[in-house]
Amino acid sequence: MSNSLRRLWRWVTWTWNPASEREASTAIVENLWLHWFPAKVDEKSFGWRYSLWLGAVSAFLFLILVVTGVLLMFFYVPSTERAYWSIKDIDYVVGFGWLLRNQHRWAAHLMVLVVFLHMLRVFFAGAYRAPRAANWLVGLALLLLTLLLSFTGYLLPWDQLAFWAVTVGTNIAKEVPFVGDGLRFVLLGGTEIGQSALVRFYVLHVVVLPVAVSVLFAYHMWRVRRDGGLAVTDPAAAPLPEPSPTAPVQGKTYSLFGVTPGTSLETRAARPQADDAAVASSPHLLRRLILVFLAVFTLTIILSLISGAPLEEAANPSVTPNPAKAPWYFLWLQELLAVTTIRLGGWTISGGFVGGILIPGVLLLAAAVWPFLDRSPLQTVGVWFPRERRLQNSVFALIALAIAILVLIGVLMRGPYWQLYWPWQAWPQLPSRL
Amino acid sequence: MSSVVEPERRRFLRRIGQWSVVAALSTQFAGVVRAFVPRVLYEPSKKFKLGKAAQYPEGVTFVPTHRLFVVRERNQFHVISAACTHLGCTVEWKEEGSQFDCPCHGSKFKADGERFAGPAPNGLPWYPLSLSGDGFLVVDSAKTVPSTYRFAVV
Repeated sequence: MSNSLRRLWRWVTWTWNPASEREASTAIVENLWLHWFPAKVDEKSFGWRYSLWLGAVSAFLFLILVVTGVLLMFFYVPSTERAYWSIKDIDYVVGFGWLLRNQHRWAAHLMVLVVFLHMLRVFFAGAYRAPRAANWLVGLALLLLTLLLSFTGYLLPWDQLAFWAVTVGTNIAKEVPFVGDGLRFVLLGGTEIGQSALVRFYVLHVVVLPVAVSVLFAYHMWRVRRDGGLAVTDPAAAPLPEPSPTAPVQGKTYSLFGVTPGTSLETRAARPQADDAAVASSPHLLRRLILVFLAVFTLTIILSLISGAPLEEAANPSVTPNPAKAPWYFLWLQELLAVTTIRLGGWTISGGFVGGILIPGVLLLAAAVWPFLDRSPLQTVGVWFPRERRLQNSVFALIALAIAILVLIGVLMRGPYWQLYWPWQAWPQLPSRL
Repeated sequence: MSSVVEPERRRFLRRIGQWSVVAALSTQFAGVVRAFVPRVLYEPSKKFKLGKAAQYPEGVTFVPTHRLFVVRERNQFHVISAACTHLGCTVEWKEEGSQFDCPCHGSKFKADGERFAGPAPNGLPWYPLSLSGDGFLVVDSAKTVPSTYRFAVV
């Protein structure tokens, strides 16, 4: 009896813990979940010090957001009259609803931060160079989608915080030249922030943007494999000649439906994986991923227990809170647009355009084209802060630091009327209603 | 299976077939895109009634439901928008300084709506007034008038 139980257990779980090299390779195609992974992974990819596993962390945060998000969807109502009260229900009535909502909010904030840090890591290690330039661009798109996801989600509670943050955000959208007004009109489904805007933001937040992220994420992962794995596995030795694709060899192709005769695969790796440096994905990669997921999940739970998702008064279009702040990841933009209104004689260029559209647009464009302009030697790919890339790494770090400082100023030091206060200084008491 | 040179007629018919699919899909796609541009707005009208002229005191009165200020000087009225021209926050009237202050980024406007401090690009717009048949003030927030505008009520 116990023998057949053991056999049953083995039959269910063998792919996760293969007993031999051959089993490890077959496991990848025998198990639906494992077919994402290559049969073997270069050991250097596992280095915590190289990648900090930031990409994996952001992917797991997205997973947590999807699961908590779907659960929240059973209780949230996207109607201007009922949204606020459905959130109150989630916080106070639904069993562990407060935990669900807190975890969703913490995972969202962390995901914006981690995706940003992941971008920094990839840049500092020069891992955006060809052939990984396409993946860098996909990564930038994923960063934008993450910010949009966070922004659309921000409106849903329909409290003062949400309403005025979106007022500021959509008025920035209006500053896009030529199409600005039309863009705002379609985004809001009207001229004011109301029911149409709430439903549009809701559908964007729960369907359109997550699907877009999923599709790009799939390509992002596939691209990593096609580009020969993480950049750290590229040889840091003498520059290699442009790899010629190996001539197809009569062999076997392992497909999902079995083994068929065919031709061998062609990858763009600078050097095919040395067998001694590669280990089976199952179980080695799998175990590390499970550990990282547990760590991320535990962190979000602990944060959810310590600090709750805020909920201010119900949205009131007549009363602007003082100060009215954008979400923290947009506060650097709000800092910029408060100071970049340019007046030349009779001409005025609104800070909303300069700080809200032009500057971030230029930064994004610069990041997008940099892989094609970078002339540093290829040996520096996959290396942290190599001497040859010191200048570009310093400039990038400085820009990232400036953004971080602006965010901190916005969070800690801006008080009523956008005046500066020390974080310990008390703000003047203002009437809460006009 | 086709011969080395495809007969003109066959190629022509094939092209018509392909382009008709493109045309059909494009039209459908354009229709979908158009559907997202609202045709009907379920928003309150931009032209609306306020109260009767007599109920407004001398000076500046904030009307929260429509985000504007009604300013009365004896029997002359004018209406100034309370939405800051920077990013849309509601400005506050400061009696002491005779000015409008925006809480969001510190823009300040004089009593006539002219901007004198802060990042707002323009002054606060003025809206035209009229009188309804039953004696109520009517504001048309879809139009703007210069700051020389006054609406006299006898």
